[in-house]
Amino acid sequence: MEEYNSGEEVSFNADEASVSVKECIEVIIGGLDYNQNKVNQWTASIVEHSLTQLVKQGRPFKFIVNCAIMQKSGAGLHTANSCYWDTATDGSCTVRWENRTMYCVV
Amino acid sequence: MYLKRPTAVQPLQLLTWDTCYFHYLVPTPMSPSSQSVSTTSDAGSQESVDGGTVGRTLQWDTDPSALQLQADSELGRRMHRLGASKIVQIDFVPKELVTYTKETQTPSAAHQSEEEEEDEESSELKASPQTDQPEEEGEAEDSKEAHPRELTEEEREQILHSEDFLVFFERSVSVVERALAEEGDIFFDYSGRDLEDKEGDMQGGSNLSFNRVFHDDHWSKHRVVTCLDWSPQYPELMVASYNSNEDAPHEPDGIALVWNMKFKKTTPEYTFHCQSSVMSVGQIVLWDNRSHRRTPVQRTPLSAAAHTHPVYCVNVVGTQNANNLITVSTDGKMCSWSLDMLSQPQESMELVYNKSKPVAVTGMAFPAGDVNNYVVGSEEGMVYSASRHGSKAGIAEMFEGHQGPVTGISCHNAVGTVDFSHLFITSSFDWTVKLWSIKHNKPLYSFEDNADYVYDVSWSPVHPALFASVDGMGRLDLWNLNNDTEVPTASVTIEGACALNRVRWASGGREVAVGDSEGRVWIYDVGELAVPHPEDWSHFARTLVEIRANRGDGEEEGAVELPA
Repeated sequence: MEEYNSGEEVSFNADEASVSVKECIEVIIGGLDYNQNKVNQWTASIVEHSLTQLVKQGRPFKFIVNCAIMQKSGAGLHTANSCYWDTATDGSCTVRWENRTMYCVV
Repeated sequence: MYLKRPTAVQPLQLLTWDTCYFHYLVPTPMSPSSQSVSTTSDAGSQESVDGGTVGRTLQWDTDPSALQLQADSELGRRMHRLGASKIVQIDFVPKELVTYTKETQTPSAAHQSEEEEEDEESSELKASPQTDQPEEEGEAEDSKEAHPRELTEEEREQILHSEDFLVFFERSVSVVERALAEEGDIFFDYSGRDLEDKEGDMQGGSNLSFNRVFHDDHWSKHRVVTCLDWSPQYPELMVASYNSNEDAPHEPDGIALVWNMKFKKTTPEYTFHCQSSVMSVGQIVLWDNRSHRRTPVQRTPLSAAAHTHPVYCVNVVGTQNANNLITVSTDGKMCSWSLDMLSQPQESMELVYNKSKPVAVTGMAFPAGDVNNYVVGSEEGMVYSASRHGSKAGIAEMFEGHQGPVTGISCHNAVGTVDFSHLFITSSFDWTVKLWSIKHNKPLYSFEDNADYVYDVSWSPVHPALFASVDGMGRLDLWNLNNDTEVPTASVTIEGACALNRVRWASGGREVAVGDSEGRVWIYDVGELAVPHPEDWSHFARTLVEIRANRGDGEEEGAVELPA
């Protein structure tokens, strides 16, 4: 398994993570329209790929990845979340992405 | 603020928050060895708990960043500083988006299960259609070929069930079936996506020759044909609606099948399902052939404003652009609907005669070109003329003559040199067919050749003196009034001798479709008999004069000339 330095305090780099996640989204659903039959595949792949990319960064972190894809149909969606953690080292990042037919939030 | 609450297991609980600052509960940590540890905090105070108690105390702390918890250092853990993160909010604002009126839009229940039956045949036929029609399925193919890697089993399943594939597959199945059945242009697409005009290759014939029968074992067995109609745009298409299938209660109650005359296929082009028997229980359902769904696209609600009794008759009047749907039901109500808005009728009218008796309508017909006045037949055997608008809206006149319920009514609609649009014919359970004119309240003539209930009657759309009738013994009669008014000019008994429910002419006037009580639709070619000659119109005018003259001498006395 990968080695990480357990003695250091590394803090979560939200920007780097968000870049990496955005890339994953783009690869998987970039240019596609909302398709109800494929949307399950997409959310699963986005989560899987983002997670593997994040793990590849080699940081000593646990990750939680959540992906929501919503069709643009005129409905509203409102969510909120918060976490209780070690504020020195832990952090979160949210990536919003949209195209003509759907929203994607990771 | 203080809040004491014992909790069982969870160490942390975020109970509430507001926008300015966070409140949360901070438990005092319990080490396994039950030692009490005091926590420090800048603001707010805390209590330490005696380690012997099992419960914990929780307290509010107003300053998130400053709260610190010290883990039990005896266990060798690092010092963690835990705090709450900022709350992440994601908002998508709703937008107004209206397509169909929402109340009439039928729920788009997943109809995957219905289309799964197509998949059984998919394995063999899948290979050939894909190579046969590259241009049509270019898009579907492209999306599949974008992933040239091996499709896993799961992905293959997903693709097979995907809507695009099923749409493509249904179309290609129908095309391949046509190709298998005969030579000809198989690429015609009736759903209107590609509009190529095709010549029909109808076959001529002698007087009344059997062309073919439409019968689908799966769908139309044991169902009574309740209505037939020919498509005005594609003259080789006709739709037949069927009543409920007594043998199979799980199948949908009412279905309508679209049959294609042109090719020798034996399966229907499209099938539509409906929950209640088609033509009954007061609802009107609208299928859109373009949206490849088998369930109705719109359905009117059961409401007192609309029909509460079985809807027996539906007619579309008007031109292609400005048209209305008129429906009449057995509770005497006539409603007019706009196809865009089926949530409530545009107008509705109670059909009462003499201001008291509602008319139980069994049939309705509009004269050619008239969208306001119409005639209806009723269960009591009377025929009424009515108008939709105007000072005399409602029932106008009553035509007496039949002794039994009127089953079918048809207005003259052949266009020619002489205008006969005041004529209409009715059929009834009293074994007769009667010819009427709007101007007289007694029949002009009564055709008494039948020996059973006459179920339906229909004027030819092209020949002025020709009409067809069907009766309960399986007989289809063609009457040419220029030839003979006593007996039908041509008659055939359909094999099987089951009662025939409906008869409709094709728009070209060369074929007749007959529906029977076993769910079969028979198509007969009419041949030379159906072709009108220019002198047929004047001949018919003379025939009418003769009929009237005979009637005047005969027993029909007391006939009243009605104001036009």
